Amino acid sequence: MKKILIAMVLTLMANEIIAQDYKYGKVSKEELEEKYYPLDSSANAAVLYKNRKTHFEYTQGQGFNVITEIHERIKIYNKEGFEWATKNIEYYNAPNTSEKIINLKAATYFIENEKVIETTLSKKEVFDEESNKYWSQQKFTMPNIKEGCVLEWTYKIISPIKRIEDLQFQYEIPVKKIDAKIEIPEYFVYNKSYKGYYPVSAKEEKKNSSITFTNKERSESQSLGSKAPYITTYTQSKVDYITKIDIYEVVNIPALIEEAYVNSIDNYKTTIQYEYSELHWPHEPIKYYANTWEDVTKTIYNDYDFKTELNQSSHYSDDLAVVLASSATESEKITRIFELVKNKIKWNKYNGITKFNGTKKAYKEGVGNVVDINLNLVSMLNKAGLKASPVILSTRSNGIPIFPTIDGFNYVIAAVEIENDLILLDATEEYSVPNVLPSRDLNWQGRIVRENGSSTWVNLIPTKLSETNSSMNIVFNDSGTIEGVKRTQYTNLNAFNYRDNYTKMKDDDVILKVEEENGKIEISDFRITNKSEIYKPIIEMFKFTSDDVLDKVGDKIYFKPLFFDAMTKNPFKLEKRDYPIDFGTPFIKENKVGIKIPMGYVVESVPENLAIGLSDNYGVYKFIIKIEADMINIYSTLQINTANFPSANYDEIKDFYKMIVNKNLEQIVLKKV
Amino acid sequence: MKKIITLIFLFFNFLIYAQDFDFSSLSIPENLKEDANSVARFENFAIEIKSQREMIINYQTAITIFNDLGDKHSNLTIYYDKKRTINEVKATVYDSKGVIVKKIKKSDFKDYSAFDGISLFNDNRLIHYEHTPISYPYTIYYEYEINTSNTAFIPDWILNDSYSQSVKSAKFSIKYPPNISLFKSEENFKGFEINKTEKLGFLSYEIKDLPALKREPYTPALFDFLPTVKFGISKFNLEGVDGDALNWKEFGKWYYDNLIQNTLELPEVTKLKIKSMTANTSDPFEKAKIVYEYVQSKVRYISVQVGIGGFKPMFASDVDRLGYGDCKALTNYTAALLKEVGVASYHTLIFGGEKRSLNKSIASPQGNHMILYVPIANQEIWLECTSQKDPFAEIGSFTDDRDALVLSPDGGVIRHTKVYKTEENLQTTKGSYTIDSEGNITADVYIESTGTQYDDNLLGNEGKNQKELDIIFKKYLSNINNIKFSKIEVFNNKEAFKFEEKLAFTATNYGVINGTQLLIPMNAFNNGSEAPARIRDRKLPFEISMNFLDIDEVKIALPTQLKIEYIPEKVELNTKFGTYSIEVIKIDDYNYLFKRTLKIISGNYQKEEYEPYRNFRKEIAKHDNSKIILIK
Repeated sequence: MKKILIAMVLTLMANEIIAQDYKYGKVSKEELEEKYYPLDSSANAAVLYKNRKTHFEYTQGQGFNVITEIHERIKIYNKEGFEWATKNIEYYNAPNTSEKIINLKAATYFIENEKVIETTLSKKEVFDEESNKYWSQQKFTMPNIKEGCVLEWTYKIISPIKRIEDLQFQYEIPVKKIDAKIEIPEYFVYNKSYKGYYPVSAKEEKKNSSITFTNKERSESQSLGSKAPYITTYTQSKVDYITKIDIYEVVNIPALIEEAYVNSIDNYKTTIQYEYSELHWPHEPIKYYANTWEDVTKTIYNDYDFKTELNQSSHYSDDLAVVLASSATESEKITRIFELVKNKIKWNKYNGITKFNGTKKAYKEGVGNVVDINLNLVSMLNKAGLKASPVILSTRSNGIPIFPTIDGFNYVIAAVEIENDLILLDATEEYSVPNVLPSRDLNWQGRIVRENGSSTWVNLIPTKLSETNSSMNIVFNDSGTIEGVKRTQYTNLNAFNYRDNYTKMKDDDVILKVEEENGKIEISDFRITNKSEIYKPIIEMFKFTSDDVLDKVGDKIYFKPLFFDAMTKNPFKLEKRDYPIDFGTPFIKENKVGIKIPMGYVVESVPENLAIGLSDNYGVYKFIIKIEADMINIYSTLQINTANFPSANYDEIKDFYKMIVNKNLEQIVLKKV
Repeated sequence: MKKIITLIFLFFNFLIYAQDFDFSSLSIPENLKEDANSVARFENFAIEIKSQREMIINYQTAITIFNDLGDKHSNLTIYYDKKRTINEVKATVYDSKGVIVKKIKKSDFKDYSAFDGISLFNDNRLIHYEHTPISYPYTIYYEYEINTSNTAFIPDWILNDSYSQSVKSAKFSIKYPPNISLFKSEENFKGFEINKTEKLGFLSYEIKDLPALKREPYTPALFDFLPTVKFGISKFNLEGVDGDALNWKEFGKWYYDNLIQNTLELPEVTKLKIKSMTANTSDPFEKAKIVYEYVQSKVRYISVQVGIGGFKPMFASDVDRLGYGDCKALTNYTAALLKEVGVASYHTLIFGGEKRSLNKSIASPQGNHMILYVPIANQEIWLECTSQKDPFAEIGSFTDDRDALVLSPDGGVIRHTKVYKTEENLQTTKGSYTIDSEGNITADVYIESTGTQYDDNLLGNEGKNQKELDIIFKKYLSNINNIKFSKIEVFNNKEAFKFEEKLAFTATNYGVINGTQLLIPMNAFNNGSEAPARIRDRKLPFEISMNFLDIDEVKIALPTQLKIEYIPEKVELNTKFGTYSIEVIKIDDYNYLFKRTLKIISGNYQKEEYEPYRNFRKEIAKHDNSKIILIK
């Protein structure tokens, strides 16, 4: 019995020794002595602990403020981790309302000769900087940093605008433990949206809360001749309400490392966002900010002025009449209205779902943001009798919105519904055409918001293949150089990108670019057809010579069948990949090469034909080579049928590209007769 | 009251000028449109030094923009800070006929903190306006006036600071009071017709009809070959501190006395500590090395630039306490420690980055960086105190080979920093690879770099974890597909002044199977060189900025199942730009030794020499891709 007791006591003590103390200032020796992060030795730093508490506090005369308390403990393992010793705290700071940061404390700890040395951050080492009209930040870097040190900081943000800062659970460094608690009174409804791969869930609780108000009443004195004309009386009243609590306890979250071909790494960092959506004030009608998709639609139409902006038409009615008079079919109407808007209003590079100039002013001045431009477009299309609506979306750099939130969106385009078809239009770009949107728009799905309040998801990723078709004819000169003509045709997104990159440049500059891309060739007679005829494919043609694509060895000539168009490097180099692969658009790349066999030579060997495919018809590659009379004809085509692949397909795609590269590296051998 | 009148008068002046000018784009001569995305129709840049503590900068320009590549000239950014205020700013946009399209007021500008990309904090701010054009061509006219007490920094007159822009007319004038002398340095005036007026208290320049220049690869900076004037004055004010200097000696003394002298004090504990650390040696070189390495282990680079703090180092005692500082603070801290152990050292002002010397002929605050000069016996040692990786006395390409100002209580002296000879910037690659009959490769590589090549690897590879190194070396060996590394080790060998990298890997399909043949690209480990672009009718001189030497020795073991059909022959190229050679030496039937050297000599070259240089690099790229051919 005694033994057992002792054992129990020992275990308990042991537990206590192991248990970390997460109070501010209680950094343990184990934490200071840790040489590397146990679960990922490559980590340069780690979040040892983060505590985040958000609650609402009522102040008479001000109403509710959101108070967020943050406490973070960071471990720095090596010099590469020093950047984690610098902290920026952003806060809202507009002329009329601003958030406040208070009670900032921070310290650095390290061990020297068995002793813990603490260096505290002093006030004058904290800098306050106005980033722009609405946002400021407090910045500091920790004093006395050394490899192995532990840093701690704690502060409070008081937010009168009721902003609940995003709960970020994942960083570029691993996290040992995060505790978070969000307490929200029943009056306020926040939408929670979730992004990232690492699963995190809240434990939900409730508690009773109350506020005591002190009411002051002044009444006119009844007694005549009294010194004080008014009498002030104080009464107290108490209001009870329920507070909802979300509790998060998360441990051992791996670091998120950036990889190639990811649209935006922030899309994958596990984060929970709280968006203010409804106010249920007692004895008042509910005020909606956002909630269901119908609410989002309603809010956008009303609070974001879409309705007002869409209903303005006097400014364009004359121009529209001209355009409609000469359009016979619906598709002609769409195209001509689209071109009218593009021509009339230039994009000032601002995104958003709020107007900049407004539809009318933008049209008059010729400049507007994406809302001004594309709402004009929707409005005109509607006026012309088509069924058009705005589609709100989040650009690639802005992340992916999943839950009904307004904050997640930062862009608006137009959609026309014809029979069972949907045509997407973005008039911000000179070279875009119906259903060919600029790359920034191609972020998963957008939400069409119809005036009748209905709303559905709209797929933004193109389904049409973007084509690059080239054909090349090559002859050999006696001197070991080659000469040829190449013609390349681009369609859809590829045509858009080509025009966007090249058509404004002078031909000489384009030649330089094309030569740089292809290496080893020298171009003459360069021509681009359909530069500004954007409804036709764009065609590039040139003659070229090259003295550097053949290997002459003895009486043999070696060369790659696709010459400078060969894919010689596999773009997928990582052993393992954690994120989806994003090609932006499905595409097809076709190369035809005709080579005239030089006099006095015969073909000794050519690569074998190849046809390979990805599973589920996601992609194919074909390589066909034929010798016909004195010609060698090569046909190579790579087709990828879907823009996005899950990371589970990575190995398959990598192998697929490996086979393409191997084939492209194989050579044709000619031999002197 | 008087001040207000002057202001109105000046303002009135602008208006008259702007009103008189024909803003239509139709009258622009053809020769100014060639290669131009924009034309500076006129530029009036007027500086008035009212006194030692007051300078007014007045700028007006009208730029016609032909296409969207020229749009950047209608993005207006004006900097200000506590000592520099923007009195007046406005802009007007005209269409091609000269009709006003838009008037832009100061309130249309947005105000931002001027984040410099490096500093944790600086107190500079800026206002910014970005114009969205609705048609081309259009003309933007803007004017602003700045009032500053920082007379130490008189702006340079840089004629045309951008490519693809021609200049119709550009005027620069400077007015200064009789008690102040003006120093100037006119550069690259030769070959340009510049109308100069000089009288007591006034100097002006004017140039007309300057065609646009097109950017070409390997071109030196524009201010290296276009007319530029730099200025300084004898009595100036720098962030509230008055100064007085006629030459570098006096300027250096002023800087030292006012901005450095009182910053060197260290806490007693630190003094004792550094003394005891260096107690075992009497050799000043050894002492300096111990101090430098102590600083590297103790501090890190954090930049904070506020007011005079942009020029005056943080107190050494603050750096000691906080463990961080900017280049001035860390240089100063090292100097304070060296002083404590009896080694003399000197703060040095310099331009860091692209090779650029201080202008020797004008004593004025120049440079953007500070390093430390330590003369020991006959050795000149330069220390980069912001680096935690550099070995003692290596400065690398960030501050090598340029004139810098060395400060001391006795005054300032211009000195030239360390010059790295081509042979010092050496990379040797030693290794071996084995090819099997399927073309798969198994390889061992050892790379050692010194001089500026050391520096490159230090910046890119030191301290990276295995995942990052995997990506870095797959890129470095991008000529090899399907690499799987079994070893990647990098080592900053500070004692031996070299950076070492050890790699071991396998890769499938390195050799290409062609029917019965196997082609093996011979140069596996150092094969990334490409020829520079072809430029038709090059107009500008060119510059090779880095000099280096690469020596490779690689043993090759070929598969004995196959017959050897072809081994590339020896190649030697010898040009004024450098030399190149490759050779495959037979050891036995299936074992060879591949030798390669590449030496590039830096320098400035005439435009006619570009094509020969390009041919040299083309030949190299071609021979680097030579293949050994085996047959079944």
